[in-house]
Amino acid sequence: MPATSQQLSPVEEQEKLLDDALGQVKVNAFQVKRCLDKGKLMDALKHASAMLGELRTSLLSPKSYYELYMAITDELRHMELYLLDEFQKGRKVTDLYELVQYAGNIVPRLYLLITVGLVYIKSNSGLKRDILNDLVEMCRGVQHPLRGLFLRNYLLQCTRNVLPDSPEMENEDGNGNVRDSINFVLMNFAEMNKLWVRMQHQGHSREKQNREKEREELRILVGTNLVRLSQLESVTMEKYQKIVLPGILEQVVSCKDAIAQEYLMECIIQVFPDEFHLQTLNPFLKSCAELETGVNVKNIVISLMERLAVFSQRSDGVGSGSGEDNFPSNVQLFEVFSDQVASIISNRQDLPVEDMVSLQVALVNLAHKCYPDRVDYVDKVMLNSTEVFARLGMERFEANSSVGKELQKLLRIPIDNYNNLLTVLKLQHYATLMEHLDYNGRKLLSIYILNNALESETVISSQEQVEQALNLVSTLVSDQPDQPKIEVDIEELAEEQGLLSRFIHQFKSTSSDQQYLVLLSARKILGAGGALRIKHTLPPLVFQAYQLAHKYKDLKEEDSMWEKKCQKIFQFTHSTITALVKAELAELPLRLFLQGALAINQIGFENHETVAYEFLSQAFSLYEDEISDSKAQLAAITLIVGTLEQISCFSEENAEPLRTQCALAASKLLKKPDQCRGVATCSHLFWSGKSLASNREETHDGKRVVECLKKGLRIAKQCMDISVQVQLYVELLNHYIYFFEKGNDQISVQVLNQVVGKIKEELPNLESSDETEQITKHFNNTLEHVKSRMESPESENVLYEGIEI
Amino acid sequence: MATRKKVLLKVIILGDSGVGKTSLMNQYVNKKFSNQYKATIGADFLTKEVIVDDRIVTLQIWDTAGQERFQSLGVAFYRGADCCVLVFDVTAPNTFKSLDSWRDEFLIQASPREPADFPFVLLGNKVDLEPRAISTKRAQQWCQSKNNIPYFETSAKEALNVEQAFQSIARNALTQQSQSVDLYNEFPDQIKLTNTTNRNSNGDSCAC
Repeated sequence: MPATSQQLSPVEEQEKLLDDALGQVKVNAFQVKRCLDKGKLMDALKHASAMLGELRTSLLSPKSYYELYMAITDELRHMELYLLDEFQKGRKVTDLYELVQYAGNIVPRLYLLITVGLVYIKSNSGLKRDILNDLVEMCRGVQHPLRGLFLRNYLLQCTRNVLPDSPEMENEDGNGNVRDSINFVLMNFAEMNKLWVRMQHQGHSREKQNREKEREELRILVGTNLVRLSQLESVTMEKYQKIVLPGILEQVVSCKDAIAQEYLMECIIQVFPDEFHLQTLNPFLKSCAELETGVNVKNIVISLMERLAVFSQRSDGVGSGSGEDNFPSNVQLFEVFSDQVASIISNRQDLPVEDMVSLQVALVNLAHKCYPDRVDYVDKVMLNSTEVFARLGMERFEANSSVGKELQKLLRIPIDNYNNLLTVLKLQHYATLMEHLDYNGRKLLSIYILNNALESETVISSQEQVEQALNLVSTLVSDQPDQPKIEVDIEELAEEQGLLSRFIHQFKSTSSDQQYLVLLSARKILGAGGALRIKHTLPPLVFQAYQLAHKYKDLKEEDSMWEKKCQKIFQFTHSTITALVKAELAELPLRLFLQGALAINQIGFENHETVAYEFLSQAFSLYEDEISDSKAQLAAITLIVGTLEQISCFSEENAEPLRTQCALAASKLLKKPDQCRGVATCSHLFWSGKSLASNREETHDGKRVVECLKKGLRIAKQCMDISVQVQLYVELLNHYIYFFEKGNDQISVQVLNQVVGKIKEELPNLESSDETEQITKHFNNTLEHVKSRMESPESENVLYEGIEI
Repeated sequence: MATRKKVLLKVIILGDSGVGKTSLMNQYVNKKFSNQYKATIGADFLTKEVIVDDRIVTLQIWDTAGQERFQSLGVAFYRGADCCVLVFDVTAPNTFKSLDSWRDEFLIQASPREPADFPFVLLGNKVDLEPRAISTKRAQQWCQSKNNIPYFETSAKEALNVEQAFQSIARNALTQQSQSVDLYNEFPDQIKLTNTTNRNSNGDSCAC
C-alpha cells in the first residue's frame, strides 16, 4: 500500500478502499460479461470468483461492505439470467453445481454455489428441498460475522421467489412445502443471529461503542429473515402460533443479547400482521418479561399496544359488517395487556419507575382507543398504578421529575379524552393516584382540570359532584399540609382563584332545592380557603344564591314553601357575606349586602322588609366601622344612597331613619367637597325614593330636597379653594335644574338666578388652567341646556321665565 | 449482440410508509392483495418477466421501507436503478408532500449520469378509498413541474391501472438503460497490473 494512506482520515480511507474494490468488481464484471457473450462459461466463472473475492475483505465498514455487496450481487444477477437461459436450452446444471465447489476460497465458492443452486432449482424443481437444505448448511462454512451475515442475506434474497409455499401435507415430494421453508428460514435466522451476537464479543473492549454502532447497522440483515417468514402465505395463524413465533422467540430469548432482543421484538411487531399479534399476545408479552436487563421492554410493549390500538380503530370503521377486517371479539385486548404489563412490572427489577408509568399511559391510551365506553378499564389502570407505587413504598413525586412528568401525562389523558369532568369523577382511583404528585404537580393538574371544565362548560349538578370536584382541585381550594412555606404570589393566586370562581358559576342543578344543597356544600368547602381565597370564591356563591332566590319567586305558584326557602337563602348569603367581613374585608361585603337588599326588595317574600333592613343596616355598619379612606367613604355612601333610592319595600318607620342616616353620614364626611357632593346626592332620596308610605311611588318631598341642596351651597361656600367652590356650585346648579324641571315647586327661577349669579361672579377670577377650562365648559353646557329647553317648542317655555343667563 | 442478450431492469419503489408500495408490487407480480398490514423493513426485490416492444425483459422490482429507521445499512441498492417509482396515497396529503424529498434523496444517493433525464413514474395509490385528499390535477401539476413525469392513479386493492403503470415503468427503464449501456460498455476504467491477491491479505488471517 502507498505510504500516503497513513495521512487519510478514516472516512477517506474507507472511500478509497471501497473505490479500489469497486474498480476490481467493474473489471471482473466486464470480463464475466465478455466471457459469457463468447460462451466461455469456465472463464466467466473464474472472473466471477475473482470479483467475489473482493467480499473477503475485513477492512470495510458494514455500510461500505454493503455497497460492495450490492455492486457484486447486481452483477451476479446478470450471470444468473444467462445461466438460466442456457440451462433452459438444455445445458446440464448438475455438473456446474459440482464444478463451482472447486473455487479456491469459501466466500466466492458459496456465493457461486447459491447462484448456481438457484438456477438449478428454477430449472429442475424436483430437488428444491434438498438443495435448500444443502445451501443453508453449507453457509455454516463462513463464520466470520460480517461475511457470514452478507452471504446468508444473499441466500435469503436469492431464494425469495422459490421458497415452497404450499400448505403442509401437500408436495411431500422433493419440491417441499411451507414447513420446509419455515425450517429453512428459521435455521438461517438462528445462524445469522449467532453471527450478529458474536460480533459483540470480538475485538477490544475500547471499541465497544463502535462495535455496537456497526451491529445496529447490520441488524436489518437479521431482520430480513422475519420478513421472509411473514411473506409466506401458507403461514397461517395456526402455523404462526405453533411453529413460527415460538421458533423466533426461543432464539431471541436464548441469545441473551440486549441489542438483538430489543431489535428483534420490535421487528416481530412490525413485520407480522395485526391479526397474528392479537392471537399471540400472551406468549409474546411473556417473552418480553424474560428479556435481558438492558432491553427497553417498555418501548416494545408500547409499540405493540399502539399498533393494535390503531388496528382496532381502523377495523371498527372499515370492517364492521363486511366480514373481513373485523376486530376479533374473542381477544380480551385490554385484559391481556393489563395483566402482562402488571407481570412485567413486578418481574423486572431494573425497570425504571417512569417506565412503569409510561406503560400505564400506553394502557390508558389503548383503553380509550379500543374501548371508549369502558371507564372501568381506565379506572383499573389508575388503581394498578397506585398499587405499584404502594408496593414500591413511594408516596410523592416532584412535578418536574421524570416520574412526575409521566404521572401528569397519565392523569391528563382522561381529562383530554372525555372532556367531561363528571366522567373523570367516575374514576374512583383518580384522586388517590393524583395524591402521588407533589403540591406543585397537583396544582398544575388542578388548573388543567378547571380549564378543561370551563372550556367544555361541564355543569356540576349534585352535592356529591361538587364535593368530589372541589376535593380534586383541593390545592386551589384551601391550604395543603405539603404546601411549600413561601410567600404567596398574589397575582398568581388571583389568576387561579379566577378559574375557580368561574367554575363555581357552573354549579347548576336542575331542581332549585338541589341547587340550594349544592351551594351549601360548596360554601362549606370553599369557606375553609382562608382570607386570600374566599375573597374570590364566596362572591360567586352569593350571586348564585341571589339568582336562586329569584328562581323561587318564579316558582311561587308551584312551591308553597318558596317564601321560607327565600328566607333561608338570604340567611345563607348573610352568613356568607359575614364570613368575608370576618376576613377583614369591607368594601366587597358592603357591595354584596347592598346587592342582597336589592334582590330582597325585588323578590318580596314574607317578612322581606325586615331582612332588607338588616342587609342595609349591615352595609351601614361596614361603612361606619370599617371604611376609613375618605374617597372610599364617598364611593360607599353614594352606593348606599343609590341602593336605598331603588328600594321601595320600607314602611315610613324604616325608610325615614335610613334616609336621615344617609344625609347625616354624608354631612359628616371628612372633606368639605365630599360633604357637599354627598349631601347633594342624598337630595334624590327625598324626591325619587319610594316607600310604603308613598305607596311605592316617588316621595317628591320638595322641601327636604331643597334643604339638602341649600346645605350643599353652604358647605361649598366654606371651601377655601375658589376653583373647587365654583366647581361645586356648577354641580349643585345641575341638581337644582334637574329638580326644577321635574317640577319641584320649592325651587324658583330666582334661586337658579342666584346660583348662576354666584358662578358668573367667581368664574372670571379663576386662574386659567385645565381645571378652570373644564369648569367653564361644564357651566356653559349647563346654560346651553337651559337655553335649548327655553327655545324648544315642546317644553313649557313659561317654566324658565325670568331666568338670567 | 445487445438485442440477443437478456435485459435486466432495476426498478426502485419509493414513498412514505403505508402508501401501498408492497401491495402494488404484490398485485403486479403475484396478482394478489391483502388488507393485512406488514411493515417492510430494509429492501427486497421481486422479479417478473415482461415483454416490452417485442423484447423480453426481466424487471427487478425493489420494494423499500418507507420508514427511514428500517434502512440501517443505507440505500446502496438505489445505485444502478433504471427507473424510480414514486408512490403516494391519494387520501393522505402528507404522503404527497414527501414526494419532493423522496425524489431528491434518490437523485443524490443513486447519482445517475443525467439526473434531469432520469425516468421517474408517479403512482397515486388507493383511489378506491374516500375521501380524496389530492386531486388528479394537483398530482399532474407536480409531474409537469418535474419534467413531465408519467402519472398513474392506481388501486392495488382493485388491480386498477397497476398493469398499465408497470408497463410504462418497464418502457421508461428500458429507454434509460439502452442509453446508458453504451457508455458503460466502452470499457472499464483501468486495468491494474498489481497483484490483486495482495489486497485481500490485508485483513485478518481468516482464510474464508
